Amino acid sequence: MAIETLVLGAGQEVGKSCVVVNINGKRIMFDCGMHMGYNDHRQFPDFSLISPSGDFNDALSCIIITHFHLDHVGALAYFTEVCGYGGPVYMTYPTKALSPLMLEDYRKVMVDRRGEEELFTSDHIAECMKKVIAVDLKQTVQVDEDLEIRAYYAGHVIGAAMFYVKVGDAEMVYTGDYNMTPDRHLGAAQIDRLRLDLLITESTYATTIRDSKYAREREFLKAIHKCVSSGGKVLIPTFALGRAQDQNSGKTIGTAREMNGLYYLDGIQFGNTSFFGSNSTNSELCILLEDYWERMNLKVPIYFSAGLTIQANMYYKMLIGWTSQKIKDTYSTHNAFDFKNVHKFERSMLDAPGPCVLFATPGMISGGFSLEVFKHWAPSENNLVTLPGYCLAGTVGHKLTSGKSTNIDIDPDTQIDVRCQIHQLAFSPHTDSKGIMDLVKFLSPKHVILVHGEKPKMDSLRERIHSELEIPCYNPANNETKCSSVDTPNSTLIDRNLTPELKVEDERVADGVLVMESNKKAKIVHRDEVLIMLDKKKQEV
Amino acid sequence: MNETLQPQQNQTEQPLTLHTLSSIRSLLINPSTPKRTVSSLLQTLTQSPRPTHHTLNLLSDLATHHSSFSQPALDSLIHSTDSPTRLAVDSLASISELSFPELDDERFVSLCFGPSIPGRIWMLRNAGCTFRVRPALLFTVLLGSTKDPYPYVRAASLEGLVGLSGHGEFCDVSMVKGCYLRALELFDDMDDCVRLSAVRVVASWGLLLSASNADMKAYWCNEVFAKLCSMARDMSVKVRVEAFSGLAKMEMVSKDFLLQSLSKRVLGNGKQRETMDQITSEQFAMLATSVAGALMHGLEDEFFEVRKSACQSLHRLTILSVEFAREALDLLMDMLNDDSVVVRLQALETMHHMALNGWLKLQEKHLHMFLGALVDNCREVRCAVRKILKVVRLGDLAMFKSSIDRLLKNLDSYLQDEADVFSAFSHLGRNHKKFVGYIVKETFEEVEAAFEGNDGFKSARIAALLIISISAPLFNEYLGIIPPVLFSYAVTLLGRIYLAFSDIMDKDTLLAYLCEKSRPSSDSVSDINHEDVEQQLSLIEGDTPNCDSNGVIDSKIGSQIMKEQKEVTCYQVEQHQSEYSEVTVYVNFILAKFPDMWQMIETGLTNEVLRSLRCLKEELTSLNIDSSESRDALAFTLLYLRIIKLLVEVWEHLLPAKGSCSHGLAELEFKLGKLDKRIKELMSKLVGFSAEEELNILELILVTYALRLWKVETICVNLTFKRLTSIYSCVESMLKERPVLPSNFVVELGKLLHKCQTASVNGASCSTLQFDKCLKLFSLKKFVFRGTIRQLKAELSISNNDSLHPFPFVSGLPVSVPCEITLHNIISKCKLWLKMSFDDGLVQYVFLDLDHLEGYGDVRSFAFVAPFYRTPKANSFRLKVCISLECLFESVCPVQRYGGPKYELVPLCKEKQVYFSNVNKD
Repeated sequence: MAIETLVLGAGQEVGKSCVVVNINGKRIMFDCGMHMGYNDHRQFPDFSLISPSGDFNDALSCIIITHFHLDHVGALAYFTEVCGYGGPVYMTYPTKALSPLMLEDYRKVMVDRRGEEELFTSDHIAECMKKVIAVDLKQTVQVDEDLEIRAYYAGHVIGAAMFYVKVGDAEMVYTGDYNMTPDRHLGAAQIDRLRLDLLITESTYATTIRDSKYAREREFLKAIHKCVSSGGKVLIPTFALGRAQDQNSGKTIGTAREMNGLYYLDGIQFGNTSFFGSNSTNSELCILLEDYWERMNLKVPIYFSAGLTIQANMYYKMLIGWTSQKIKDTYSTHNAFDFKNVHKFERSMLDAPGPCVLFATPGMISGGFSLEVFKHWAPSENNLVTLPGYCLAGTVGHKLTSGKSTNIDIDPDTQIDVRCQIHQLAFSPHTDSKGIMDLVKFLSPKHVILVHGEKPKMDSLRERIHSELEIPCYNPANNETKCSSVDTPNSTLIDRNLTPELKVEDERVADGVLVMESNKKAKIVHRDEVLIMLDKKKQEV
Repeated sequence: MNETLQPQQNQTEQPLTLHTLSSIRSLLINPSTPKRTVSSLLQTLTQSPRPTHHTLNLLSDLATHHSSFSQPALDSLIHSTDSPTRLAVDSLASISELSFPELDDERFVSLCFGPSIPGRIWMLRNAGCTFRVRPALLFTVLLGSTKDPYPYVRAASLEGLVGLSGHGEFCDVSMVKGCYLRALELFDDMDDCVRLSAVRVVASWGLLLSASNADMKAYWCNEVFAKLCSMARDMSVKVRVEAFSGLAKMEMVSKDFLLQSLSKRVLGNGKQRETMDQITSEQFAMLATSVAGALMHGLEDEFFEVRKSACQSLHRLTILSVEFAREALDLLMDMLNDDSVVVRLQALETMHHMALNGWLKLQEKHLHMFLGALVDNCREVRCAVRKILKVVRLGDLAMFKSSIDRLLKNLDSYLQDEADVFSAFSHLGRNHKKFVGYIVKETFEEVEAAFEGNDGFKSARIAALLIISISAPLFNEYLGIIPPVLFSYAVTLLGRIYLAFSDIMDKDTLLAYLCEKSRPSSDSVSDINHEDVEQQLSLIEGDTPNCDSNGVIDSKIGSQIMKEQKEVTCYQVEQHQSEYSEVTVYVNFILAKFPDMWQMIETGLTNEVLRSLRCLKEELTSLNIDSSESRDALAFTLLYLRIIKLLVEVWEHLLPAKGSCSHGLAELEFKLGKLDKRIKELMSKLVGFSAEEELNILELILVTYALRLWKVETICVNLTFKRLTSIYSCVESMLKERPVLPSNFVVELGKLLHKCQTASVNGASCSTLQFDKCLKLFSLKKFVFRGTIRQLKAELSISNNDSLHPFPFVSGLPVSVPCEITLHNIISKCKLWLKMSFDDGLVQYVFLDLDHLEGYGDVRSFAFVAPFYRTPKANSFRLKVCISLECLFESVCPVQRYGGPKYELVPLCKEKQVYFSNVNKD
């Protein structure tokens, strides 16, 4: 017996995640994403490999979507409505709530703004969402008689999940994107120890090992505190929160495209900061500042610029159960997304005296309001500008990070004398290679398949998993099929810990009756206890 | 009796009823029951078709009371442990209570491996403490059970092993090693609870293992450290917490392992490994990946429990290596940015320990975080930072200066911290005399300017600067640096600053010290030359921050400058006394603040004052007090503080801005009522006020009444007015006897009342405006606590009564309420009442005649049976009983009651609930 893995997307690359797994006769599609780097047929996974005849309903048992980023959900509406898949689609509640917004957003930018050919319509999205069945974390869902699935918390973005699948005695986990270190608003990935035959994991940062996030936070806060306590103003350019409101989104710069802050350059994803991804960074910074303000009793105002609505925070407020432990613990007394110190910024305040902190769009100071503010504040050495970890070439942000130039030409007529301080800062919602290794070690599966990464780095990680953990590991390319043999049947009934030397025999290991009485908590009792509970005698036949 | 049991035996299908069981029990515990009956009872019990825990109890009763039948009873109990249900646990518990010597090894083992799962768990959990079995046997059984198919059984056996490691002597290394390795295997268990216990076993047995062989100790310590580190990335929070508490027990770990746990990258073959020998080096290569970044992951964890535990483990680990301590400090500093107060406090606690050991090497890069915590909005955090500053050695002048700046900022933003900030300054000065020497010139200039009044006089700042200057020469001989005039300036602030030195000397010694030092020495120092200073400083060889070094105190006062702070704790005999004086000082410190606050209120800073009051209150309530005198002092201060707070809140309504909105009026009335109640409580529940203090309190009452008449009263004008006049006449008569000048408020009020009396009869005609005029003259007087004040207190307890065990009563007939009463500081002129209130509002009072009750002295305890007459026609009812004191000082009584107290009552204890249940319930 074997598990067959067909990689349709995100094999040795990042983009259009789509993996079809054949496990004990059931075929499951994990994620159905689109590639943002292409405009042609390469944009979508090659669905014909699933079923040459195009009868997807028979070919697939279900689709599982891990989170709402377009490279994981982008092709879903196309596949269900245009290609005609009609079976069940599973995703978590937040993903179900946010995916249609993402898809609609994408459609609008592509069709309304850029006049490209429409791949799916608004109605398609609506129809597609009707097929979606939402699941909760750690809830075991019986898809059909033999197939059961369960979602585990993955961090990354709100609603992101890893999925556990079990068919008969074959078990596997598909991680999607995940994060093993918590940040202030999202928790770390969390999963039970399982007995897996196969683990399919992302490997975006297959070779990077990240230092403590505390150092970054400390430097960020120190810079800001220093600036405001000496009366300076802080500009924090951020990616748009609202949907397609930003004039600059969708603009093409070189070979890169900006999609609501989701940046691709030659097919490689740089800032995973789309919509909620961006808001993720935003919320993270805002919570960080808010905490610090509270603790240090600071009274300096924090502003959101007018274009930057707090709308997305509304989703966080509603989906509080999917955030980090701290926020969950305290939300009954204070919802961390109710920013007490945050106010709305008016244009008239631009030249007002006194210190302040301002969040403004767009993120790389490529135009719009953040550029306007920048023009006003840059000439004073008291002020501070913080920049995201990556800025596209050609933007003001890039010029600021790349050199020590004090004069920046905005356009032929304007030149800014930049004297303010610059602070660069990056938060990543992906796990680093240490995190991947830790997860693989914890789960100790029989086989590992790497997806969602760059080939050379994946190769090196594959070697490490192979040598350090002694687990066979593969990183198939797109449209390749990988068979992982599952020879030894493992039974869940007898624990793996049992070794033949000392065995405590017990025939009734799996015996138990679930009793649910009205108004009482359900409990499991031994079969001999049932009779006593029901006050009945045993009838021998 | 046999006849009654007979039918039971015949119908073996029917379980024994409770009634039958209770009669069996009464037979069994009766020693004179004939053997024949006992035997048939045993038969009945053993043959009972469905044994319950009742029958098991009876069997064990039988075994204890009738020794001749104990063996068959025990057999029967052992038989029922085979039951797959929870009954097995009950029978095991019964067996353990009997603790028969007959329980031999074989039987013990068979019980441990019985078919009942709860039974197995119970045995493994309790085997160590309830059965007397050989440790070797227990060890074997526990180790065997770690392979049980059930996770909870495995966990219980591991827990048993943890317990065993504490008190067993295990000489055989291979046995210890076997246990350790078995636990290591279970690190891969599927169940969280098993992994959790396995971590505990590895930590405890790992220590045994490393201790068993001196040569291999280092090797095994590293091994255990690495294994525990590998669990720092477990997915279960509890396991992670446990892994770090395991790390906190390590006795020695190689430096490279420690350093590796701080870095997620595996440290290379570079120079780090030079120090290692061959074995360690090979071991390191093997284990480095599992150690990598473990502590850093712990500190970054999502759950505060884990972060706290990781900080705690650093506490121990930083002792093991200086280099590690230095690197770990960088991470610890970042923990001050944590969003959880608990974690921040734990990080500071760890740093404090490092400082005590002299391993806290603060660097310039740490200062922003570290000193930033001085303005943290959490009091405990600020306090913890100052605690560290008191003992730390600062490396250079810049750090010393920024510490002073931040402490001053701390003082600016949090007035209530003053005492502790001053104390921190005093310690900083004592520990860094050299740095004090460097800054003394500017300090001198600033202080001089302030005293000459050129500058805005910021008294707290000046006091702080003085403290740091005068504390520098305390344990050091070279005094020339500090200009004597600073010492004379300090004398003028003595009252404010002496607390900062309370750990080494009292006020008088400090005064003597200051006086001596303020005499100019032979060379005039009034204008200091910086070069001179540096010349002198260059003579000082290094800095000796810790005052426990052999600093010579070359003055007569030296001998009086007493013990070190650390030694103080040894003087346990004096502790109560010193605690009391400490409390008195503290209380007076607080009391002295109120008049100043009043001035702030008049300038409209109500919110600031309320905030300080809240902080003070919080501090007071958090004090931990043992002696009764101190408790009295605290009770008084707390009550007085509450009164001031209410007064402040009421006063706010009178400020022009708030004026007369109607909703404000209701609130005002409510607050005035509360204020009234509190002042009366102060007046009656506390005794021992001097006449002057009593006048102060009476004045407060006058203010309350005047406020009432001016602002809210519409209905009871006459009554309030009457009360006002009666209190006023009281004040007047007291004033006549003493040479005290009445306050402006009282004088003006007197005039007003006089006018009213001559003009007409009652207060209704009194113009409200005139009260306004009086009230404007009111100001708060300083209250000094002299230690004479005692709190009247009562304790009431009613035993054997709660909602499940009510007293019986017959409705319509009186019922007795047996009370046990303890009175503190009650004198015979007090009138005490037992107030019994019924749910529907009906109240009955019983007078406690102190002359006719037992006991004398400050603390009197006695029993008192109070009758309650009006028992209702109900199945059950509840009474609230409370001891109350009548307020006698006021001569106007509001309501005439018959048979009850004439004046208002103040409760002396908490209300106690007494439950009754009707005897004739149907």
